[in-house]
This record gives sequence, C-alpha cells and structure tokens, in this order.
Amino acid sequence: MTLAIFNGSPRKQKSNSKILTDHFLQGYRSVAGQKNVITEFLSAKDQMVQNLETFSMATDVIIIFPLYTDSMPGVVKEFLEKIYFLQNNRTKNLGFIVQSGFPEAIHSVYVERYLEKFTRRQGHNYLGTVIKGGVEGIQVMPPGMTRKLFDNFKKLGEHFAEKGEFSNQIMKKLKGPLRMSKVKYIGFSLISKTPLLNFYWNSQLKKNGAWEKRFDRPMETQAKGF
Amino acid sequence: MVTILNGNMKTSPNGFDLYVNDVARALEQTTQVNTFHLADMKIHQCIGCWSCWWKTPGLCAIKDDAEPIMKAVIHSDMVVFASPVIAGFTSSLLKKIQDRLIVLIHPYIEPIKGECHHRKRYDKYPDMALLMQKEADTDDEDEKIIADIYKRLAINFHSNLKHTWFTDTQTTEEIAHDLSHI
Repeated sequence: MTLAIFNGSPRKQKSNSKILTDHFLQGYRSVAGQKNVITEFLSAKDQMVQNLETFSMATDVIIIFPLYTDSMPGVVKEFLEKIYFLQNNRTKNLGFIVQSGFPEAIHSVYVERYLEKFTRRQGHNYLGTVIKGGVEGIQVMPPGMTRKLFDNFKKLGEHFAEKGEFSNQIMKKLKGPLRMSKVKYIGFSLISKTPLLNFYWNSQLKKNGAWEKRFDRPMETQAKGF
Repeated sequence: MVTILNGNMKTSPNGFDLYVNDVARALEQTTQVNTFHLADMKIHQCIGCWSCWWKTPGLCAIKDDAEPIMKAVIHSDMVVFASPVIAGFTSSLLKKIQDRLIVLIHPYIEPIKGECHHRKRYDKYPDMALLMQKEADTDDEDEKIIADIYKRLAINFHSNLKHTWFTDTQTTEEIAHDLSHI
C-alpha cells in the first residue's frame, strides 16, 4: 500500500492543512512506520506532472484542502480535472479532508457531495470526506485549545494505518453538528455584538496597521473605468 | 449592468464561446454587458494571504488582470458564471477568479439565518446566474450539486442564485430575455 496525501492549500508549508496533515501522519506512522507515504503540494510551482505521477502510483490517496468560496480551491479543481483525463487510471481508494474557518459543518457538506460523485464517476473507492470547521486561527491558539483537534487527527491517522479507511467515529467528532443549536446560536448572536467574535481579525488588522481601513470599499470609490 | 465571466478553458473560440458571445450581443440591446474571457487573461489563484482582509482591506495583493473583474462584479446587477462542465463542476479557471472575489466581502463573521457568514463590505451585491455546457455524462445529480454549491456561494456573497441555464436547453435569446428583466 502506498499512501499519497495531496495538500491543496495555496499556503502550502504555512497552511493549516499542513498542520492537520502532520498530526494525521504522526498517528499513521506510529502504526505503519516511515515507509510508503508521499506528501505533495498542489500549489507547488511546476509540480503538476510529478503530482499526477504520484497519484497514478498510489493505492490510497487523500486530498486535503481549505474550503474556498464554498468548494475546493481553484488549484484543487485543476488537479481533479487532470485526474479526470488521466489514461490508465487504476482504481484507488480516494478520500478527502475539508477544513474551514466556519464553525459549522453546513458550509462543507455541499462540496462533499461533489467529491463523492467525482470519486464514483472515476470508478475509485470513496473513503469519505472528513469535515472540520473552526480551523482558522489554530496557528495562534494556545496548545490547550488545539490539543483535542490534533489528538483526533492523530487517531484518524492511526486508524487509517490499521484499517485503510477513515474512522466513522472520529469523522463524526470532527464534523460536529451541521448547524449551531438554537441556544448556541443565541449565544453566538450576543457575542457578535461584542469585539470578542472577531478578535482574531481585529488583532491581525491592528498588527498590520490596517485597523482604520477595515471598512474601506476601494472597488466602489476607485474610478469606474473597468 | 451584467458581467459575464466566461471560464471556458479553450483559448481558441469554440461553440461555448460563440454561445456566450451570442447571449452578450442579444443582451447589449437593452443592458450594459461586460464579458471577460478568462482564458485570455492573466488570472492567478488566490494564495490565501488575506492581505485583502487584514493588510489592504478590500484590495488584492496579486497584481494581474483580476482587478477590473472585481470592479465590474461589484458594480453589476447580475454576474453570470459561465463554463463548460468539466469533471462534474465548473472549470478551474472560473473557480480561480471566483476564489479571488473574497476581496469583495469582509472578514468579520456575523450570524445570518442560523449560520455564520461573512459580513458585507459593500452595500449591494449582484445577483448570480450559472450558464453551463454539459459534458457527455452530466446528469440531474450533477446539475443539483453544482447549483447547490453556487447557492451557498450566493449566501456568502449576500446574493441570490437567480438562474441555472444549460446551453442545450435554453436559447441565447431566452437567456438574454431573462437577463434583461433583472
């Protein structure tokens, strides 16, 4: 068995997808050892031929990406198009991990339907799509806030190495509820009226000296000579 | 004003381009139309730097041909996402410019109808429409999957997906008629 993990985040090495992949692999390697795992970045320059070769030779493939405008980033779609037209495309086990900044799973379940259809259309075995929201900010969160998330990804990797599939139980934990409960939504609505909800964005805006410009509308005010 | 984003990846004009051009021509009788043939433009993928959200709010850091598209979209009453269906979805070329449109919304999250969504940056956003050409095995399920994803996109862009058209079931005149009555 050869496992190939394709990271579809345009942020590549600095991506949250990379962090989640590292924890998955920590668990995976604790069971399967160091052999037969290849990781690639879909956004790496001039890498498409190599990525397609890696895809072709792998038996198990996981594509991890951040949710971009409600589906996969353009670079992931480009890769899927290349796979779609591959000749002699051997059947493989294909799974996906979709992570986003939104806390609820509802945002990612639509692209999940596409990913499943794509996999079946290609004649591959669909391993499922792991959905995890609330990922933005994990790089600045204190360890206590990310421990559970990282542990779950480590366990996901262990299970994958043992069984060659995603654990339904861990997927369910990571996915969480489709939408917030009524009580949580009311709490969220109240917090949204305070600076707490957008603390992360505000801290970054201030750090970059852009706080005063945060509500700018440059496309509106600039000359309309498009 | 209507903006058409033509995500056909073929650089030489083919049936889909001719169809889109016919729609634009018919529509020009009644409305201002901006058609962007993305394959002829230099459009980089969004690199997730979020400069447009936290360094230069509302402005993208990537200097390519995307800015006129962003301006056209925000000044439009309707944006048409036009593309042949490839591997069960709209083209990666169209998706690349679509990803770049986050420049038009605000990073702040707010509660909307029981869900978290991004806040508006501008007062008004264009309605959305999909114009697609089926591939050989496009079926009803594909149509629903694509339309549902674009409906979600519309929610995040404070917009509505008003139309989903396919070139084999709709004439260019019918589409131009629908678009001229927005």
